[in-house]
Amino acid sequence: MKATYQWLKEYADIPDSAEKLADKLTDIGFEVEEIRPLIKEFSGVVVAKVESVEKHPDADKLSICEVNNGKQVFQVICGAPNVKKDQFVPFAQVGATLPNGFAIKKAKIRGVDSFGMICSKEELGVEEKSDGIWELESRYQLGDDFSKILMKNNDYLYDFFITPNRPDCLSIVGIGREIAAIYDKPLRYPSFDVEEDKSLRIEDFIRIEIEDKEGCPRYAGRVIKDVKIGPSPEWMQKKLEAVGMRSINNIVDITNFALMELGHPLHAFDLRNLTGNRIIVRKSAKNEKFITLDEKERILPENTVMICDSERSVAIGGIMGGLNSEVKEDTVDIFLESAYFKPERIRVSSKELGLKTEASQRFERGTDPNGVLKALNRAASLMASLAGGTVVSGICDVYPAEITPDKIPLDCTYVNKILGSDLSEKVIRQKLSGLELDVRKDEIIVPTFRVDLKTEIDLVEEVARLINYSNLPSKRVTNIPYEIEQRPLEKQINLVRQTMINLGLQEALTTSMIRKEEAQFFSDKEPVSILNPVSDDMSVMRNSLFPGLLHAVSYNRNRHNKNLRFFEIGRVFDQIKGQDNLPDQPYKAAVVICGKRYSEGWNTSAEPVDFYDIKGFLESFLDKLFLDNSDIILYDTSSYFDNNLSMNLIVSQQITGACGRFSDKIIKFFDIDEEVYGFEINLDALFRHLDLSRQYTPIPKFPFVERDLAFVLEDSITAKSVADCIRKRGGELLKNLQIFDVFRGGKLGNDKKSLAIRMRFQSAERTLTDKEVDGIFNRIIVKVNKEFNASLRN
Amino acid sequence: MIEIIENIKKQFEAETEKVKSLSELEELRIKYLGRKGNISNAFSLISDVPAEQKPQFGKELNQLKQQAEAVYNKIEESFKTKSKSLMLDLTLPGRRSFTGSKHPLIQTAEEIKGIFSNLGFVIEDGPEIETDYYNFGALNFPENHPSRDMQDTLFISKDVVLRTHTSPVQIRVMEKQKPPIRMIAPGRVYRRDTPDASHSPFFHQIEGLVVSEGVTFADLKGVIESFAHIMFGKDINVRFRPSFFPFTEPSVEYDFSCVFCRGKGCKVCKGTGWVEISGAGMVHPNVFKSVGYDPKKYTGYAFGMGVDRIAMLKYNINDIRIFFENDVRFLNQF
Repeated sequence: MKATYQWLKEYADIPDSAEKLADKLTDIGFEVEEIRPLIKEFSGVVVAKVESVEKHPDADKLSICEVNNGKQVFQVICGAPNVKKDQFVPFAQVGATLPNGFAIKKAKIRGVDSFGMICSKEELGVEEKSDGIWELESRYQLGDDFSKILMKNNDYLYDFFITPNRPDCLSIVGIGREIAAIYDKPLRYPSFDVEEDKSLRIEDFIRIEIEDKEGCPRYAGRVIKDVKIGPSPEWMQKKLEAVGMRSINNIVDITNFALMELGHPLHAFDLRNLTGNRIIVRKSAKNEKFITLDEKERILPENTVMICDSERSVAIGGIMGGLNSEVKEDTVDIFLESAYFKPERIRVSSKELGLKTEASQRFERGTDPNGVLKALNRAASLMASLAGGTVVSGICDVYPAEITPDKIPLDCTYVNKILGSDLSEKVIRQKLSGLELDVRKDEIIVPTFRVDLKTEIDLVEEVARLINYSNLPSKRVTNIPYEIEQRPLEKQINLVRQTMINLGLQEALTTSMIRKEEAQFFSDKEPVSILNPVSDDMSVMRNSLFPGLLHAVSYNRNRHNKNLRFFEIGRVFDQIKGQDNLPDQPYKAAVVICGKRYSEGWNTSAEPVDFYDIKGFLESFLDKLFLDNSDIILYDTSSYFDNNLSMNLIVSQQITGACGRFSDKIIKFFDIDEEVYGFEINLDALFRHLDLSRQYTPIPKFPFVERDLAFVLEDSITAKSVADCIRKRGGELLKNLQIFDVFRGGKLGNDKKSLAIRMRFQSAERTLTDKEVDGIFNRIIVKVNKEFNASLRN
Repeated sequence: MIEIIENIKKQFEAETEKVKSLSELEELRIKYLGRKGNISNAFSLISDVPAEQKPQFGKELNQLKQQAEAVYNKIEESFKTKSKSLMLDLTLPGRRSFTGSKHPLIQTAEEIKGIFSNLGFVIEDGPEIETDYYNFGALNFPENHPSRDMQDTLFISKDVVLRTHTSPVQIRVMEKQKPPIRMIAPGRVYRRDTPDASHSPFFHQIEGLVVSEGVTFADLKGVIESFAHIMFGKDINVRFRPSFFPFTEPSVEYDFSCVFCRGKGCKVCKGTGWVEISGAGMVHPNVFKSVGYDPKKYTGYAFGMGVDRIAMLKYNINDIRIFFENDVRFLNQF
């Protein structure tokens, strides 16, 4: 909502400067998003006279002018169609700076020198768009500094952020009322008196009927005869332009002026277009079509409030008028509408039509049903005085069920109870009455323009903001008992994150909204999709952390950051319905790695990472979480990993994650030209088995015995199956088993391999004897040889 | 005659103590272990030794020779290692490991969580895809009301949305338990905003809620001021301005004095001396009604803050998008 300092001053006394007022309005809840001089500063522009105008030899639309600044004559090229000899103009000399920061220099235009520029209003920041240069009155002195002339009456423009609960402040008078409350001065309303022609009676011109009483609780109108359509006076044009409205003609400008002044939208119809001299307010017909005054044909949503004459629709109630009844240059008689529409109905229609107007925005937030006649009278009286119209006597006002002001009990203890303050009843009453609230003994009568005041708590805010939040007490102690019971989730996530960091991984945060194609790589199930996405590449919710992390890899590789090891923790989304019928949204953790295994250096080898690196990260991660029921087994069938290079993580017999090398298809899709490995774990599943409690196990006091051996066996036998067999056979005393070498080929033969294994035996109670260890060791050898048809390697 | 061996031994031990270089060591070797050295010479004396002492003399002399050789080798070895280490260029870089770090937004969130944990707040969590009821209805956003336009919402279906704020967690917690409540809820939220330097369609908030008997606006002011001082320093002022949120009344917008110029006015605060942080307010009685609390008995306050916004202030970042590009040259700075 825009307003100017001078315009506000017409309704309220403002003892402060424009800047100070901005601060005070911000303090009571009207945030000033911008304040600036209406005319921005510029320099080097003087009043000058055009001495001659000639056509430019090489350009049809350009003229070569001689311009006199009172001391000197300059040759200037001008492109404006309205430049004429003997005109007084604002002339930007070489060295001038215009409001937009543009500096004027000597220039050559199509081969002709130009020393300066003749300015338009647009170029001097006075209007949005100009068609030609600014022609000045000849009363100015040549050579006078034009910025001084303009600045003398300069005004300030505010742009307020009006919260949706305060539609009453979408008007100059509304903000004026707040200003009056700040300074504790009365608000000066404009006059609502109308001089009527008693010889004419409204009943003879129009009849109003409301069928849709729910959508339109009040509809009133006046008839103004014999208006002369023309431009509105300059003062009105200036005001409207300042607050961002284009001047159209005097009648339209007057309705807009009243709208800006009082916040109540009005609509002017050409009376001759209202067939049957009737207005009927009804609901739209099914699939009804209507051409609005912006010349667009629209299909009306059902239940739209329509204003109709005896034959057809003439306006969409509260949103926009129709082309068929708009005020034109030859309009003579006006039917002026002032109505109150139900906010919810206007909002639904406006939304479904995709049509937001100054009127709809106010009606959907709530206008004053009892301010209908004031706005009507204000505009009618202006039409009489500024457009030469005759106001027909009487108002046609259909208001079947009067909307009466709300009453709110006044309880000063409650105010202090919420604010923690100690305000006196007198102060509270004074603040509330300053806002034109009717403060009675035990209650407040709320005028109908304040749609936001409904219950006692709303009055608390009114008192608080007028006292000023900064003047209210602040308390730094609390009497709420300490009963802190932190949720396990926080601890669990922290443990996961810290473990990842400890492994040397870098945390990334990536988007939760991804491209549908990307989601399809990571699950066969339909992803959770967004009805109104920001863009196609954010149209579905991520079902995996991998797409985001692979984008991060690609982004970095394109910038020559090659050795990457990222992790991310976050929610992913699954169609499965969980609590409250919402999609399942488990936390996951994922890692992706690519590039070199070690930071490259003079004494480290520059080998790339491989499958055992990602598996190592996963194993180390699981080690630190002390999940004793986890296992990485089963070849994974995830389509996004390479067939032979992926495995599943099993925790308590449940597939909880996967680990592997991304397939070529994926890598290509994400525009990466190197092998990338990754793992992802469902943390919600993992946390079900995670025990954060710890109990210490004594460190063994007795020495251990280590034995190495190497088995030769079929290549197809997995290391894991051998290790599992040894562990089972080794029993309690086998504390540790390490595969320290794998050898293929040589004398072993084609399909054979040798597995070298180191075993550590230890007892917590005693020193083991060689004999004892030999016994277990031999049993292991026999068992493995038998089970896998293996033999010992010499 | 045995004394001769003893003497050589003592002498040898004394002289080895004094050896300071490889050349001195060589002199020592020649003197004792050389072909004409003291020990070799002593062997030639064996003919003079009485027959019954000969075996003992020979044995001890051999022992001495072995010991002297061992001592010599040890000293030589130590000199050689020392000289080898002198040849290493210690200025060459060491073997480095890759190191990781927490994302700066996570670091900021942890700092904020830490502050509120110290103030006695419990950390809660809630879903990112929410029902219309939790995101709006229970928070006193009437249907078809313009207040819903304050947050441009992303919809999954008519009744399911991407939460536009962390406030639904307030409702979920209050539905589960009775006052007193003192909680914060960090998490990701979504708005239908086109990405630019100051907007991201997803970002991070931390919600706060305190409900008990006798909680007042003064408590709200106090907790926000305390947070500002712990997070950014004791000289930070807080400005509270009236605002509007359907779920709080009175509602507050709060600003901190600019953390860069400390309120003097600079580019970051556009010369105003203030930076906008977020919103807060006293819990609206309608919210209490929707969770079955008695608004006559309980009062409470709620606040929110943008983690991304605070991180941008903390690290002097002027484009929110950099957080989600994950350029390691950015992430490595934290």
